[in-house]
Amino acid sequence: MCVGFEAPNVTEMNDWIAIGALALVGLLIPLGMMAVSYLIRPSVPETSKRATYESGEVPTGGTRVRFNIQYYMVALLFLVFDIETVLLFPWAVVYLDALESDAVSLFEIMGPMVVFVAILLLGLGWAWRNGAVQWAQTPRQVEADRDRP
Amino acid sequence: MEPIQLPEWTALGPALLLAATAIALFVVDSISPRSTNRNVLAGIATTGSLAALGVAVWFSMAGVGATGVDGFGVIELFDGQFVVDQLALYFMIIVAVVTALVVVASYDYMAGHTYQAEYYSLVLLAATGMATMAAANSLVTIFIALELASLPSYALVSILKDNRGSVEAGLKYFLVGALSSAIFLYGISLVYGATGYLQLGNIASVIEAGDAAAYDGLLGLGILFLIGGIAFKTASVPFHFWAPEAYEGAPAPISAFLSSASKAAGFVIAFRVFTEAFPLEATAGVIGIDWTVAFVALAIVTMTVGNFAAATQDNVKRMLAYSSIGHAGYALIGLAGLSADGGELVMGAAMMHLLVYGFMNTGAFLFVALAEHWGVGRTFEDYNGLGRRAPVACFALAIFMFSLAGIPPLGGFWSKYFLFSSALEAGLLVVAAALVINSALSLYYYSRLVKAVWIEDPVLERDALTQPTGLYAAIVVAAVMTVVLLPGFGPVVDTALEAAAAIV
Repeated sequence: MCVGFEAPNVTEMNDWIAIGALALVGLLIPLGMMAVSYLIRPSVPETSKRATYESGEVPTGGTRVRFNIQYYMVALLFLVFDIETVLLFPWAVVYLDALESDAVSLFEIMGPMVVFVAILLLGLGWAWRNGAVQWAQTPRQVEADRDRP
Repeated sequence: MEPIQLPEWTALGPALLLAATAIALFVVDSISPRSTNRNVLAGIATTGSLAALGVAVWFSMAGVGATGVDGFGVIELFDGQFVVDQLALYFMIIVAVVTALVVVASYDYMAGHTYQAEYYSLVLLAATGMATMAAANSLVTIFIALELASLPSYALVSILKDNRGSVEAGLKYFLVGALSSAIFLYGISLVYGATGYLQLGNIASVIEAGDAAAYDGLLGLGILFLIGGIAFKTASVPFHFWAPEAYEGAPAPISAFLSSASKAAGFVIAFRVFTEAFPLEATAGVIGIDWTVAFVALAIVTMTVGNFAAATQDNVKRMLAYSSIGHAGYALIGLAGLSADGGELVMGAAMMHLLVYGFMNTGAFLFVALAEHWGVGRTFEDYNGLGRRAPVACFALAIFMFSLAGIPPLGGFWSKYFLFSSALEAGLLVVAAALVINSALSLYYYSRLVKAVWIEDPVLERDALTQPTGLYAAIVVAAVMTVVLLPGFGPVVDTALEAAAAIV
């Protein structure tokens, strides 16, 4: 049985070859830079190079510190408003067209978005009032929080 | 009289009311943060859940979503992303009932807890998610509603922050929940890849047209993963491991909430997805196997595992948790019987069982809440002789236990009887036999609790027990409803059958 072999058409190069080449180059450049600097750098072992910061800062404590929970609070609040913009953008794009087309009234296009933003603002207000963005705390405030089980 | 013409979006009224109540609680908590005014907070939550219940019952009576002569027809919202039919309203009623009972009972149980407003708003948000699950008609809305129901639940399970058991339960629940959410989402993506649609009706038409035939493996795997996600939400085998841990560690009202409302919400998406999106013959033609076979196996294994494990427990709350797994097995019969002619009868019976279960199981967990409120302990021995000190609550407990076991003339007997007879008619002899055997076994451990409470002598003498109003009210209402629900309410049977017929 004869197995046919079709020569690839050179002019129509498969797109994946280009992507593969790009990935290869992208991988080779950092590896090459690391290899070259490994070859030409002088070797001066010194204990302070093993420190967490080499920028003159004197490190205190280990690297496994507990982050303040408020970092996560701020990240969560950021996420809420990040998603809000994702929804606001397409809405803003169709807003004028929708008004001109007479298919929907001003109330129908404004209403849902106002409700949506109001709910988010309410959430922010709630988080604010409950101390999620209260960054620094005096010792007395910390003491007052302590008896909340 | 001319009927009032409401705009279409009001059909989602029960879910919207629950959401509005949660928002109202947030407003109150923003105005006076750290308020522990339980009267106001529990009052708002109770009013909101009762209003949602009222609207759901009203809509159901008025024929919203009914496809009869006097009905308004099935209401599709947002291009069919949501659909309000009898099935959706029926399960919204279950969710609202359980929410109301749990909120009333929490008034006493959570007394002295610092995070009152957070607790009630999380309960209401989870209830919103469950009510939305009942109406969701596309895999995306189903998933979002599922997450809206799940995320507050994780926080609620571990809300007793100083209690190691509660925190551990919350972490376990969260880890298993995250895993099964991922599996469910992967299943959705596979089904989408095979059919090109997320809306349930469109998936069905692609499968029926035979366009998905090239992706049989993909579709089969997707369906399998969807079953996995649903099994988590309904606490069925093989994703039932979290249930005993989470229910034992969680505050008892939350255990009641999760084991009744959350389970019912899991079943409504199971019912809707599998009847609407995967028509039996066409899907069997593509993936080569009838999916009811999977549910037959799951139903038998789930009820057997749940009941046998429950029989060996010493801890009352764990026993109830395993019994709730067993009852998930009974409700799974509703999907197992769809291949036969009387499919909608079996599904209707399963839905009746979920409604009765909403009362009797919530009541049983609320009795555990009462016992925790008294501080009598956790095991069967600790419950010894409670009947002499608190006869009303213990009489209600006896009703719940015998109803869960299926003793006539209580609600649990009738729904199990409907399940049994319709399963026989549908030709599911093995499943029907498993149902009877497991019910007989369950009588052993349910009556053990009744015996401990009424017959055994207390290990040590107790002082008089308090009678917290909220817990007592919730328990008594649940007990009364368990007794009168099915024998007295012909409409419930009709509604359940109509709701099942709407989608089959």
